[in-house]
Amino acid sequence: MVGASQSALSNRRVLEIADASGAYCGKLLADMGADVIKLEAPGGAPDRSIPPFLEGVPGDDRSLHFLYTNTSKRGITLDIHHPEGRALFKKLAKTADLIVETLPVGYLDDLGIGYSALSAEHPELVLTSITGFGQNGPRANWKSSDLVAGAVGGPLFVTGDAEAPPVALAGEQNFLMASTCAASSSLIALLSAGRTGRGQHVDISLQETTLAISHISGVGKWLDDGIIPRRVGTALTASVPSGAYACRDGRVYLMVNRPAHWQALAQWIHEETGNEEVLDPLFEGPSSKRIEYRELLDLFISELTALHTVEEIFHEGQRRHIAFTPLQTTAETAADPHLAARDYFIEVDHPKTGKLRYPGAPFRPEITPWRISRPAPEIGQHNEEVFSQELGLSNSELHSLADAGVI
Amino acid sequence: MAGLKVVEFTQGMAGPWIGRMLAWCGAEVIRIESHQVPGVVRLYIPPRSVERVIEPEMSPWFTDWDAGKLFVAINLKAPGGTDLALKLVGRSDLVIENNRFGVMENLGLGWEELHATNEKLIAISSSGFGDTGVHPSYVSWGPNIEAMSGMAWLGGFPEAEGAMTQYAYPDSLSALHGLFAVLCALDYREQTGQGQRISLSQLETTVAMIGPEMMDQMAHQQSPARMGNRSSYRAPQGCYPCAGEDQHCVVSVATQHEWAALCRVIGRPNWADDPRFASGATRQAEADTIDAAIGEWTFGLTPQSAVESLQAAGVPAGVVQNTEDQYLRDPHLAERGYFETIPHLKKGEVVAPGIPLGLQGTPGRTTRAGAAMGEDNESVFRELLNLSADEYNAYVEAGAIELAASPA
Repeated sequence: MVGASQSALSNRRVLEIADASGAYCGKLLADMGADVIKLEAPGGAPDRSIPPFLEGVPGDDRSLHFLYTNTSKRGITLDIHHPEGRALFKKLAKTADLIVETLPVGYLDDLGIGYSALSAEHPELVLTSITGFGQNGPRANWKSSDLVAGAVGGPLFVTGDAEAPPVALAGEQNFLMASTCAASSSLIALLSAGRTGRGQHVDISLQETTLAISHISGVGKWLDDGIIPRRVGTALTASVPSGAYACRDGRVYLMVNRPAHWQALAQWIHEETGNEEVLDPLFEGPSSKRIEYRELLDLFISELTALHTVEEIFHEGQRRHIAFTPLQTTAETAADPHLAARDYFIEVDHPKTGKLRYPGAPFRPEITPWRISRPAPEIGQHNEEVFSQELGLSNSELHSLADAGVI
Repeated sequence: MAGLKVVEFTQGMAGPWIGRMLAWCGAEVIRIESHQVPGVVRLYIPPRSVERVIEPEMSPWFTDWDAGKLFVAINLKAPGGTDLALKLVGRSDLVIENNRFGVMENLGLGWEELHATNEKLIAISSSGFGDTGVHPSYVSWGPNIEAMSGMAWLGGFPEAEGAMTQYAYPDSLSALHGLFAVLCALDYREQTGQGQRISLSQLETTVAMIGPEMMDQMAHQQSPARMGNRSSYRAPQGCYPCAGEDQHCVVSVATQHEWAALCRVIGRPNWADDPRFASGATRQAEADTIDAAIGEWTFGLTPQSAVESLQAAGVPAGVVQNTEDQYLRDPHLAERGYFETIPHLKKGEVVAPGIPLGLQGTPGRTTRAGAAMGEDNESVFRELLNLSADEYNAYVEAGAIELAASPA
């Protein structure tokens, strides 16, 4: 029997040349035990200057964004534009199972270290590229960002209030989803390479991953019903009723999908407000039966929620098997009793920042736990470990590379 | 993933989308359903059909989340139902379930039973709140989790009260994380032969998607600011009105080089060297002035022509595309073959959104759209499980195998 502290990916080595669009891919792999080596340009990666900063003060190791998305990785500096840097990169690539990169299409090829060059010497290698629009097609060279991906991928058009312009979500959700797809694709390609001996070039397009994660309001639905989904505030078009409702001290979110959930809700509204109309069989059945009554039903529900606090609606609603949940602020989420009981937030100690609280496991495998094995690396923190101890460079070679600005 | 055998006890999207992606990669995915508790996606009334009857296979979401699978119908509460399901589990590598906490255990299909049946099994249980804590059994759908995570409150314009997706975002993000977790477990099993159970709380996965913002909250005991369409490190960045009703484009500038190019394109070449706009930080401070100038320029243009000009000059920009734009006016997506046309038993063929895994060396495909509940009973139970005709009929008579309600 294997003990309960194994790492799932401990035999996998990954090289990462990634900005904010791909760093989370490396984090996913590293927190599951892979040896992820992050390559930064000498002087440090630009993502080290992405806010928010600890105490609002910029610094190489103070970006909370960088600290969060680079946990469990080792860090080296290497200038791949320098011939000696490229030679070292090739040497490192031979020791790796996977390279994750977010450079423009063809950038590594132009330097002679793209997929075709590397795979010629290392056929099992998987190279995963994350770009705005993918490796081919007329817009392969277009520039992107998290917001651009949200625009061309669909979320923006349908997010926000009906009377307001389109708006983005908090954080950089499109980067995170492309990264998560990239991590899965990379593992599928690695599992396949293990069987066939052939790696591959994985082509992740930010536009396409964004389209895929938002497809509930996407093309399939529109082709079926001819209705272009538009912004409707907090409601979900397909579910009636759904949305945020005001309580005495805040807001709750409600979603009703199953016929039985509607019956339970109608009964509760009737009990508390004396509303007889809400019990009309006209409103019963699946969600689509209620579409034309959305505004009326919202009014009935508001009359119930206005009588109570968020906590009362949440727990009494749930006791009745109705999907009411609080609409929480980040402060409330940080103090959420259920997350606390599960020890979700964890403390990570970093030599420069001290101990900080981080969101913990996004999933919990029982035998090979998710684990932050080390904090995000400092600039070039593992240069000596990787270049000297593992690649066998002498101290004087290391110093001359540093003097030449290669590392 | 050819050779991988998957059994699903799933609902909605967060579970099924994992199986959908694995099926696209070549896995055999058997979805177990029951007429006793039809999934919400099965309760679909096509908005265009005047007679307003439920048509379980017609939902576009059913295609999106369930295409490529085999569909069997088992009443897990009937005599022999659980045994039959366990027979499928016995020959499988992976079980996916996203039922409410306790449902599988009550049916005699908890991890202990699954593991006893198949000791190399990998199983993932995905639920709103996980299987421990204060309220693991509470009911939730994707949007409930989005509201609870802090993400909804933090999104949108500063003056608004938050923003929520219309696409139950926690369902997709949980499915993608679930897929990754399953693949990690498969990789580990390749080396050790050992399976395991994975538990996923959609609330926890969703909170992880606002990681830096939550760290900011916890380190400083104050709530991060809502950013709208602006960025903390790219300026200018925003969404600008274009000619036509509800037409917009976005612009997102990171470097000095991109800034200079933007100034040329929008007819403000002298701004490129203006000290007011000499760095990202100063442009953040002047964001309102810059946004007004960009908006003046975009206002008379279609979003497509504005974006063509901007991208030609090297400025990151994009059309705020609606579904029609995606399908009819995006030559790039068309050329890459993003949308997949697949056979559908009733409609002939349907268009499904692509599976964005980008596996150029081992491209996947979807063999068919979702079929009726129990459509594949015979081929799965007779051919894959090798039940004799008598055994099969005995399960049918006991009510364990439910026959397809609407033969194709």
